[in-house]
Amino acid sequence: MENKISELRAAAAEAINSAATNLKELENIRVKFLGKKGELTTLLRGMSQLSAEDRPRIGKIVNEARAQIEQLIAEKNSELKAKELQNKIASEKIDVTLPGRKVHCGHLHPLTLTLNRVKEIFIEMGYSVEEGPEVETDYFNFEALNLPKDHPARDMQDSFYITEEILLRTQTSPVQARTMQKNSSNAPIRMIAPGRVYRRDDYDASHSPMFTQVEGLVIDEGITFADLKGTLDYFCKKMFGDSAQIRLRPSFFPFTEPSTEVDVSCVMCHGANDTCKVCHGSGWLEILGAGEVHPKVLQMSGYDPEKVSGFAFGMGIERIAMLTYGIDDLRLFFDNDTRFLNQF
Amino acid sequence: MQVSTKWLKDYLEINCSAEELAEKFTMAGVPVENVIRAGAGLEKVVTGRIEKLTKHPDSDHLLVCQMDVGEENLLQIVTGASNVAEGQVVPVAKVGANLPCGKKISKGKLRGVVSNGMLCSSDELNIEVENPVNGIYILPEDTPVGVPAAEILGLDDDILEFELTANRGDCFSVFGLIREAAVLLKKNPAFPKIEVDENDERQAADLIEIKIDAPDLCSRFSARVLTDVKLFPSPEWMQKRLEGAGIRAINNVVDVTNFVMVELGQPMHAYDYEEIAGKVLNARRADKGEQLHTLDDSNRLAKGGELVIADAEKAAGLAGIMGGFETEITEKTKTVVLEAASFNPASIRRTSRAVGLHSESSGRFERGVNEKATVTALDRAAQLLQDMGACKVCKGIVDVYPAPKSEVKVQFTAKQINERLGTNLSEKEIVEILSALGFKVEEIFDAEENMDHVFDKISFAAKHFAKSAKELAQNSEVDDFVKNIGQSVGELIKRSNSVSSTAYEATVPDWRNDVTLMDDLSEEVARIYGYDKIPATLPKGQQQGRQSPSQNFIDKIKNILRASGMNEEVSFAFTNEETFDKLQIPADSELRRAVPIMNPLTEEYRLLRTTLVGSILENAARNFSRKNEDVKLFEIAPVFFPKNLPVTELPQEVQKLAGLLMGRREPKGWAQNSADVDFYDAKGIVEELFAQLSINNYTVEPGEHYALHPGKTAIFKKGREILATVGEVHPAVAEAFGVTKKIFLFECDVAMLMKCTAKKFSFESLPKYPAITRDLAILVNRDVAAGEIEKVIVKSAGNFFNGVTLFDVYTGDRISKDKKSLAFTIKFQSAERTLKDEEADEAFKNILNAVEKTFAAELRS
Repeated sequence: MENKISELRAAAAEAINSAATNLKELENIRVKFLGKKGELTTLLRGMSQLSAEDRPRIGKIVNEARAQIEQLIAEKNSELKAKELQNKIASEKIDVTLPGRKVHCGHLHPLTLTLNRVKEIFIEMGYSVEEGPEVETDYFNFEALNLPKDHPARDMQDSFYITEEILLRTQTSPVQARTMQKNSSNAPIRMIAPGRVYRRDDYDASHSPMFTQVEGLVIDEGITFADLKGTLDYFCKKMFGDSAQIRLRPSFFPFTEPSTEVDVSCVMCHGANDTCKVCHGSGWLEILGAGEVHPKVLQMSGYDPEKVSGFAFGMGIERIAMLTYGIDDLRLFFDNDTRFLNQF
Repeated sequence: MQVSTKWLKDYLEINCSAEELAEKFTMAGVPVENVIRAGAGLEKVVTGRIEKLTKHPDSDHLLVCQMDVGEENLLQIVTGASNVAEGQVVPVAKVGANLPCGKKISKGKLRGVVSNGMLCSSDELNIEVENPVNGIYILPEDTPVGVPAAEILGLDDDILEFELTANRGDCFSVFGLIREAAVLLKKNPAFPKIEVDENDERQAADLIEIKIDAPDLCSRFSARVLTDVKLFPSPEWMQKRLEGAGIRAINNVVDVTNFVMVELGQPMHAYDYEEIAGKVLNARRADKGEQLHTLDDSNRLAKGGELVIADAEKAAGLAGIMGGFETEITEKTKTVVLEAASFNPASIRRTSRAVGLHSESSGRFERGVNEKATVTALDRAAQLLQDMGACKVCKGIVDVYPAPKSEVKVQFTAKQINERLGTNLSEKEIVEILSALGFKVEEIFDAEENMDHVFDKISFAAKHFAKSAKELAQNSEVDDFVKNIGQSVGELIKRSNSVSSTAYEATVPDWRNDVTLMDDLSEEVARIYGYDKIPATLPKGQQQGRQSPSQNFIDKIKNILRASGMNEEVSFAFTNEETFDKLQIPADSELRRAVPIMNPLTEEYRLLRTTLVGSILENAARNFSRKNEDVKLFEIAPVFFPKNLPVTELPQEVQKLAGLLMGRREPKGWAQNSADVDFYDAKGIVEELFAQLSINNYTVEPGEHYALHPGKTAIFKKGREILATVGEVHPAVAEAFGVTKKIFLFECDVAMLMKCTAKKFSFESLPKYPAITRDLAILVNRDVAAGEIEKVIVKSAGNFFNGVTLFDVYTGDRISKDKKSLAFTIKFQSAERTLKDEEADEAFKNILNAVEKTFAAELRS
């Protein structure tokens, strides 16, 4: 009996090791030895014929043999499974260089992107974003800004008129006058007014009858020209990078005194290239007009220039977007060619 | 305004280059737009003498020259020219030269021999010579060596082109620019001495009468009479100066009036005395329809109200803009009346714009001339003509100046100026700058003197107090009391110190009409001190930055649509009737009542748009014509509705949203769906937009829109309010825009969307118990709207209903022609317990009954 068991165990081990090459064969082997009619089971059944003293000893041997065979089968089973998974994986190679399935997100217009950036910087500095109508009265667009009729500076802004007294705003500064008049007298203001403006310019690579402006206004006690300079310097560094420098040139606007044009160091060559196409070798790019608010402008809108002072500035979003993205033709903004829009 | 640097150098020592001078002007608020260098490209070209000439060892036609260019060593240059000889002086382009002809000179070898430059021909220098020769340009033998060629060739007169601001009329003159430059360069100008020898005994006033009938338009009219006038070309130096200023020389009389205009900034006019009827010149308003025969020999009709200078019979010119034809100076002119006047800037501007004539003269009047200087201008002109022997000068000036301008005085303190600028300039610095600019600055209140006075008063009061205090309270508190007085006095002194700063009064020089306020003075100080030296600070105090809710809402819409695959467009606010026609907008629609522009840029842009649909279709069409056929665009912008026509008040501005889809649904790709978009893509975007904006409980029904296909238009509504219109563009409209593809469109009113946004949002807890689903597949007649069936399902589904999804729509061969098959998944769920199958079956049966009854639906097996 004991011999038979050990033979059987050896036979099973042999079968598992050599005969089982896949899971199905392994199962056959398991059935053959351990199944209900398997050889070891049959042997176990014959135990009833054994003597009472032999029975526990032989029983133990049979159970040990069974455990050993089961162990061998389990080991083989995981070995074969691993091999099978490996084979499966080996057959499943794909071409990872094929392009991914495209998810199409749209794009905000570059003018919106640029304006958003400008707004972000000023909101961070405590400015509110104010709005006003695009069709304006001559009063708000010009007169309240110290540009009486027949003022030669009106030539700088050739306008589209609806009537003698109503026009398409040539700047977003009328929003400043509107905001001041809405406020209680001398209330502090920190605002920007973004929006579309209109000038009667021919439509070409650098002019457009409609474009986008952002005007800013700060009024409070003791606001100085130096504050204007510091504010614009901060803005330009945020907008164009920490290395950006500004340069102020005296200029003339009827609504500010002193007035200044503001240049920023060339975003392309930083003043290093004499043949730079962006700054034409000057190293500077004109991007802003600004100044201390003219006392008459304060007065006309109910503010007292003896008590408060302020500064104002204005910039063109198209110009900044052109500089930021290296766009050389203004018309691209209004063509809305998808090949252009898809780039932003 | 343009002027040659030589003219400036006539009166001021200028040692810097034209570019440096331009930079100084620009940084002081007198912007130079352009420097035109006559000798541009000749920077590294000098004169050189050929000291030695040898044959090139390796070439028959090359010569090796040893050049003396004024340097220590001779310069070896190889040339191919044949007209050179030893001893000649020629232009030599040194290494690094960038010649006007485009040649760049670098160090090199010609057939093995080193050449350090080039001998130049006249063509290479881009100069015109009288007898051009083939080959090198040979200069006279006595020409100095090593001198810049530009100097020798007379090409060192640079032109400054100014882009002057509207406030600086004074800089429209050589004298004005000299005054500025003198301050910037810290040099004293040497203005010419203006003297006239009145060598005709007759009194000018006996010969001509000057009248001003319109004193509001002409504040001063001065005249001189010149006799024995001889016309001839003016001297070359004057012609050159005028040429540099961009003015063509004509004859001595005209040239002198122009010369004085540029030099002093006072426009002048010369009349032929013989032709002046009645020997009177009157500055008056033109009558309506009055004939004006101007010196360009054109007959103009006055609108009425323009300022003219008239003789006894007729207008003899548009004042300040153009003279009259009859009184023009001609060969026959013997006696000349010279006019120097001051005209109202606004009037000149109006008239010059109305007649479309802009001249050097009108430009100056528009900015305002110095009316104090008319007489000086007359004297200067008389002097110049006399110097060239062209005339005699009658005695006296006829000068009508009804209300002489009084001096402008502006008070200021250093504190005021520093507070405006954010600087800390001393009184001395401020006064120095203003004085240099010609302001007469006087102290009107001496702070120090005032301080002594205040101090005396305070100490007197203190003594008095202390004395009385001692008398009154003879106890230990006296010490404290005195101490208190001491402190108060100290504070008083401190305060008086801070409020009193010396007050000054600046008298504005008569040539500056732009300075009237302290603020103007602060700019004068700042621009001369230097904007670059002003510190950069940030405003004190803080405020909360923010956007308005509607601005945030628009930003949100943009981001949602962007995420839905749409590109944002920006288009002009202009439109025209043809676009309305193309859009098939009905004749009586309010969309056709657009705001017209009085002076449109082109006919295409003559109205303000009342809809965004025209622009968005134009953009789609432009893309289509460029073969960009896959287009998804949106725009948010205002449209304009007049409150009345013709417009009398500001129109209403309404923010609209328009979206457009055309072409492929997905980008082209190997693994992408290649189908084109359809109505449901457009609708889906609107639905997702609404979901993201928390716009709920709206209905969708078939509708109408002027530009859309009548069978493919849906209207999103909430109550009676229209939220959105979605549809396929009418094929005829698409064709009118030149697009042969299907286009889908949606349009919304932004304010309406904002109004319909749910104000509150609270989350729904996740279900604890499983849901049961049942599929309902039915056959109905084709014209039954799926939306209606859904409504019935919702209504009849019972308490456990938790949503329905239409997952299949079929029409085709497998069912009868007039039927369609719809399949819905209906979900049942309870928040309290797991539902039993029977409960779902029961609900399903009710739904089925309802749809069978309402739509004669058959259950598909």
